Amino acid sequence: MGETDDVTDAVRRATRGESSAFSELYRRTRPLVARLVAGFGTLDPDEAEDVLQESYVRAFRGLAQLKSVGAFTPWLLTIARNRARTRLERRSLLQRMEEELADPTPETVPALPPTLQVERDIEVVRQLIAELPEGEEKKTVQLFYIEGQLSAREIAEQLGVGKSTVTMRLERFRGRIKRELLQRVLAGRWD
Amino acid sequence: MRHLDATAMAELARRDPATVAWFREHLASPCEACETFLATHSDALDGRTDALLLALAPERKAEAEVIPLRSAPRARRFAPPPGRYWGWMAGALAASVLMVVLVPLVKGPRGVSEWNGQKGPGRISLELAVVARSTDGALRRLDSGGDVTRDEVLLLRYHATESGVALLYQQREEQAPELLGRFPLTAGTHDLEGPDGLAGVSLESDEGRLSLALVAFAPGEPASEQDALAALAADGSPDARPGTVVRFDVRVQSGQTLAP
Repeated sequence: MGETDDVTDAVRRATRGESSAFSELYRRTRPLVARLVAGFGTLDPDEAEDVLQESYVRAFRGLAQLKSVGAFTPWLLTIARNRARTRLERRSLLQRMEEELADPTPETVPALPPTLQVERDIEVVRQLIAELPEGEEKKTVQLFYIEGQLSAREIAEQLGVGKSTVTMRLERFRGRIKRELLQRVLAGRWD
Repeated sequence: MRHLDATAMAELARRDPATVAWFREHLASPCEACETFLATHSDALDGRTDALLLALAPERKAEAEVIPLRSAPRARRFAPPPGRYWGWMAGALAASVLMVVLVPLVKGPRGVSEWNGQKGPGRISLELAVVARSTDGALRRLDSGGDVTRDEVLLLRYHATESGVALLYQQREEQAPELLGRFPLTAGTHDLEGPDGLAGVSLESDEGRLSLALVAFAPGEPASEQDALAALAADGSPDARPGTVVRFDVRVQSGQTLAP
């Protein structure tokens, strides 16, 4: 999937001030944002909802600055991830004095590449998952990213491990994918 | 050997040739130090990485429109507000929906029944949250026992530990439970939704105390109306029974929409 036509159209209409477009954007993107936040197993359900709320409020407030309509979803997801991290960091007494993560500037977030390229990337990621050694980490990644039904908390319950363990496994895998993507960017194989 | 850190990322962002050349080769094979750094470092790749990973699972359908379970509210009550309010309302709608807080009201299994030597289906653990939507579209989170007005519609959101099926009942004071609908349950947190869209309970003809009860059954548990009524009747009893019951009480008043 690249950014879908429906989402880009709603972003265009929202930036023109069409209020129904905000509801449309919320309706279409909420499942993705909710899945992202569900990956933070140490956030309780109330906190997860708060993170979702904050993310949309910030995204809608900053929408006028978004230069590429195709960048809306990755930008929104980055905001949500930053909100979730900030929320977790605030919990820690030691990190209480840390600056909270700022929202990404809309113009610095690259738009999603064309659908065909995204489909190729998805295949690469599937291959990477298939190549993971059999074990708990692979199972965690499959449950969260491939099956996409359970939250990190529920996976922790199912596998009998801590919530933070599941989040850590997902973060580790995500780091691997980021490394792969960064390498492609540097090699000029990913815009 | 050099690994990724904040300095390296800044150099890469500036396209420093030596740094780009080094990391182009270095990142071609797995590096635990660099992957650990990237996992928690916030940068422009985050959104695209997440979009890619979240695209692996089957796509979830967009949030559906609210379909009232009971008599449709009169049109004038849901007349659209003046155009200038829509922008504010869209933001408020998104914000309010997201403020839904799960209310732990599990009245499911209490105590542990004796094991009879047979493996049975698992019992679903269930939580229920309710928000009231007023005629102007504003959403208000409710606590069980809270006041609502007749012109509001109740929207339900649940958290289930596993998939199954649920029957939704309403019960007025001193009256028998009345079935409002049967819904599939999916593990996780979701809006209560049937094939026609979100479940919204209209309060138009009510006054006084109204109890909503969601009776959930795990796969393999008998899930007929009789089973649900038996579960409701046994609610509060330590006797073993199929089904998990979650209740949410409201007090319907005849006045105007209450302040949040």
